Amino acid sequence: MKDFFMLIGFSEILLVIFMQWEVYVTKIVKTFSVSSYLIALFLFYLSFIQHSYIVLVLAILTAVIRGFFIPYFILKRLSRDPWRERESTPITGTASSIIISLMIGIFTYVLYEATMSSFVTISLGALPIALIFQGAFLVISRRSAFIQLVGYMVMENAAFLFTGYLFPDLPFSVEAGTVLDLIGIVMISGVIMRMRENSAKKSDDFDELRG
Amino acid sequence: MNFIYALPMVASLIGALLCLVRIEKFEETISIIAALTSSIFSFVIVFLPNISNGFFFIDGISKIMLIVISMVYVLTAIFSTTFLKYIEEPLFQKRFYYLLLDLFTFSMFFSVSINNLGLVWVGIEATTVTSALLVAVENDEPSIEATWRYIIIVSSGLVVSFISNIFIYASTGTLEISKLLSISSFSGLLPLGAMMAIVGYGTKAGIFPMHTWLPDVHGKAPAPVSAIFSGVLLPVALYVIIRVIQFTPVSYVKTFALVLGFMTVIVAASLMAVQTNYKRLFAYSTMENMGMALIGISLGGYALLGVIILILSHAFAKSSTFFLSGNLLSRYKTTKIDKVTGVMKRMPSTAYTLLFSAMAITGMPPFGTFFGEIMIILVLLSAVPVGWTILLMAFLALAFISVNFKVGKMIFSDSEGKNMERKRVGTIIPIIDTVLSVAIVFFIPWIEKVIK
Repeated sequence: MKDFFMLIGFSEILLVIFMQWEVYVTKIVKTFSVSSYLIALFLFYLSFIQHSYIVLVLAILTAVIRGFFIPYFILKRLSRDPWRERESTPITGTASSIIISLMIGIFTYVLYEATMSSFVTISLGALPIALIFQGAFLVISRRSAFIQLVGYMVMENAAFLFTGYLFPDLPFSVEAGTVLDLIGIVMISGVIMRMRENSAKKSDDFDELRG
Repeated sequence: MNFIYALPMVASLIGALLCLVRIEKFEETISIIAALTSSIFSFVIVFLPNISNGFFFIDGISKIMLIVISMVYVLTAIFSTTFLKYIEEPLFQKRFYYLLLDLFTFSMFFSVSINNLGLVWVGIEATTVTSALLVAVENDEPSIEATWRYIIIVSSGLVVSFISNIFIYASTGTLEISKLLSISSFSGLLPLGAMMAIVGYGTKAGIFPMHTWLPDVHGKAPAPVSAIFSGVLLPVALYVIIRVIQFTPVSYVKTFALVLGFMTVIVAASLMAVQTNYKRLFAYSTMENMGMALIGISLGGYALLGVIILILSHAFAKSSTFFLSGNLLSRYKTTKIDKVTGVMKRMPSTAYTLLFSAMAITGMPPFGTFFGEIMIILVLLSAVPVGWTILLMAFLALAFISVNFKVGKMIFSDSEGKNMERKRVGTIIPIIDTVLSVAIVFFIPWIEKVIK
């Protein structure tokens, strides 16, 4: 169980670091899909070990919604505007992103050991925390709203992985509610992103957002 | 019998569903009826015993929250009927506006009634989903930008609160609020979870340094949406922090909340002094009031009564100022303070109401906000060195001067031009709001009895 969690956790970290390097939005979204399927696989394994139907349902929900539906929805949005597939001017350059990602990994480990390791009785608790920080970095290091949304979902996935490993018996309604809320956020974000690029009245007056 | 406690939620949900019916002006009428019905049920619930079962946790604080949400809901639904006419190219049809407004209120009712911290999180996240498009109704670039910032900042903050739920569960083995309030032993993760909850829900409540979405959204959202955001959405997020602090008997968690509240007041008051946009000015005033409320929450005891009075009175006063700011915007077509002149001559009814509601939001007697803030300050005096209290009062004074000076400038400055006030529901609703923010004072003993 611990080994499998370690395998999934490290794979998730590698996938996020790949996202930090990548400039093609579609590839980032597909990578997010793979990372969600990995979490679903982990939950499936957990349900098998614990003979829990609830965790099995959660694994299916994760695969269907996080692995398939959300990436499909975003890719469909992207296909309408192929020019948006590549983010040419990220806030942080690729080289800096790699260095910062690695530093985040080290920082998280130190932070976890210094603060939480005495309370959370697992040796690999730093993994999901590192993922959360990586997701946050993806949000702040990119201009593309699509990648920012993926960054937010990476943070969500990390929290989900953390819950799945530590507390698989957390009330199902809470976890299912979380998944459903995520759909809502993604749908609304999709509408906003489309408006952001196309339909909104163009305005040079951003003075109203100053101060 | 327990189903009665769900009726405010049910009323708003039915209102939302009926908004889908395609009959002219049906959505307006049905939303107002839904709001009035939920208000009546909320008042009925106040006189029913507190409830704590597998689904509901409704005590005195929840009851007060139900009342404040439902009343601001009524006033917002009515005010929206006139204000929406001034939006030239709205993002969507009016019935979708009312549908989202009803669903938004439903998610707030849900958040303050439910007995599970995990589901409270779901409810708070649902408020983001249902309210995001309401911010973008004006359908121009700045409003879309403000909406995007709202979604991404608040959702990221809520990820932190989701993790806090995990820690709280890890420490106590439950997320049921009623059980959490009676726990006697917990592991060291609870304080960490509580602090993360303060940060996460604090993001939604506009607490420094996670507040940056707030002025943008309030600055660009239509007036009724700003009113309901400022009046009740932010206090609903604070409601969760009240619960978290109630079941976390750790002094440094309270100190953490106290420091954040303090910083929020200082930053908001400082930024209010330099504002040139009246909607953003009122947004920072909301932030300042939420900061004061967080200070009160961290202190507990009588300060918590002060918080409840402050939240109630602020909800009415602030919705009044935002409704009035909508009236100003619809006539002057600008949010710049120096371009809005001679309001007293040109819109006398709006001018008088704005004058009083500005006094109310800055805690001037005899408004309820004054009594709420005084209670918090009195408890603060016994909890921290006097110098800190004096410093806080200095920033409250700065906020008071900033708002009243700038509002006074808009109202009393000279201006050419004729009276352009239209006597209609848009001028009456803010008057009702302002009167309610004073009337709260007469109900303080009753409020104390309810929350005990």
